[in-house]
Amino acid sequence: MNPETKRTFKVAILLCLVCSVVVSSLAVGLKEIQNQQKEAFRQQSILSAAGKWEDGANAAELFEEFITPVVVDLEINKATDLYELGADPLDTKIADRTPEFHDMLEPAADVAGIKKREKYSIVYEVREDGVLNTLVLPVRGKGLWSTLYGFVALDLTAATDGATGLKVKGLTYYKHGETPGLGGEVDNPLWKAKWPGKSIYTDGWKVKVEVSKSASTEYQVDALSGATLTSNGVTNMLRFWLGEDGFGPYLQNTLAAMATTTPSTDDPPKGSAVTESRN
Amino acid sequence: MGESSPKKILLDPLVNNNPITLQVLGLCSALAVTVKLETSFVMAIAVTLVTGCSSAAVSLIRTKIPSSIRIIAQMTIIASMVIVVDQLLQAFAFELSLQLSVFVGLIITNCIVMGRAEAFAMKNGPGLSFLDGIGNGLGYGLILMLVGFFRELFGSGKLFGQNVMTPVTEGGWYPTNGLMLIAPSAFFLIGLIIWAIRTIKPDQVEAA
Repeated sequence: MNPETKRTFKVAILLCLVCSVVVSSLAVGLKEIQNQQKEAFRQQSILSAAGKWEDGANAAELFEEFITPVVVDLEINKATDLYELGADPLDTKIADRTPEFHDMLEPAADVAGIKKREKYSIVYEVREDGVLNTLVLPVRGKGLWSTLYGFVALDLTAATDGATGLKVKGLTYYKHGETPGLGGEVDNPLWKAKWPGKSIYTDGWKVKVEVSKSASTEYQVDALSGATLTSNGVTNMLRFWLGEDGFGPYLQNTLAAMATTTPSTDDPPKGSAVTESRN
Repeated sequence: MGESSPKKILLDPLVNNNPITLQVLGLCSALAVTVKLETSFVMAIAVTLVTGCSSAAVSLIRTKIPSSIRIIAQMTIIASMVIVVDQLLQAFAFELSLQLSVFVGLIITNCIVMGRAEAFAMKNGPGLSFLDGIGNGLGYGLILMLVGFFRELFGSGKLFGQNVMTPVTEGGWYPTNGLMLIAPSAFFLIGLIIWAIRTIKPDQVEAA
């Protein structure tokens, strides 16, 4: 090899080494702070889905004040105290890697394109005067380029009307890699503002809410122009997570439980006792 | 460029040799991030830092870089700087980093950074190259802020997110100009700025 070529290789390798050491040590060093920021943003996303977020507020404080995380067993579709918050099976990433913490989905059932569904999940409750009025559910699913991670908040104030009484309170995404300006418009406040008040289920608990090219009914939200695949992804992940493989049965159970406790809310002292015992 | 007094190198790119209005480089990101002053400001700082530091770094090893791989060597340095900036933003300005999204990553392909490394840093010392990079970054930033100022003011009636002319949508009097919120308005504004500068300084007009 002639000396000039040797030198070229030497410089190239040295340069790459120096650059990669700088970049990776910085990335590792900042990881902790970045994760805190991401967690704060996730909490903010839950709060804003539930309509409790104000610009400039402290996410952790508001979260503490309004939101109660509840661990849900997606196999029996009830709240469980099997695991504490922060336990491994509740971490989507760990659950995804560990066979005993997730179920494989049949291709036909996997409308959201996620392949595996965790067995335990966390939902977030918002209570007013002890009465559950908003439920925030985590959703995720494939868009065009990426998996979108977000939250859908359900308004339970008219839940006594059964399935058709459930309304969307908000939909937010906290992580995705869709095209900025097209699919990335899922973050656009104007589009997000179209969601509150939309109906979700038919009488028979079938998910009917969808993103549509010409939204006209109370079940439809305008699609994002230029982002058909992202729009379809949003529809699909709502179908899945609100459907029978997702939180559908849990919602039915929750509503049934609420129906049996609602009469006692006429009588305040008794009502609060009932909700306490339910916790 | 000829004369190379440090002051001239730093200040020339602001108006006389502005990367956007004279060299007409870096337009893509100038369209994308100028809807609001806040994003324009952060982008301006990011590009200034990257251009300054990468020019200095390239200049520092300019005699060692074999000419056959000089472009890719410059790219490696620039890309590293950009990742550093991106990581810092994610750690300390998370929401801004979401708004700037891909455009921070795309500083790598911003012709200004590459242009300065190739045209100036390969021929001059690290100190002067750093000043040249900072100057060009500031020149870019100046136009960004100017465009951002007009777009945010007329598009949403605000400056740095504060209401200046309260828009009708928030119960005020100012009907917002929707054109200012979309990318083409930045073209019009940059065009007008170039026109203004070249009217004042006719020597910048290219021969037809």
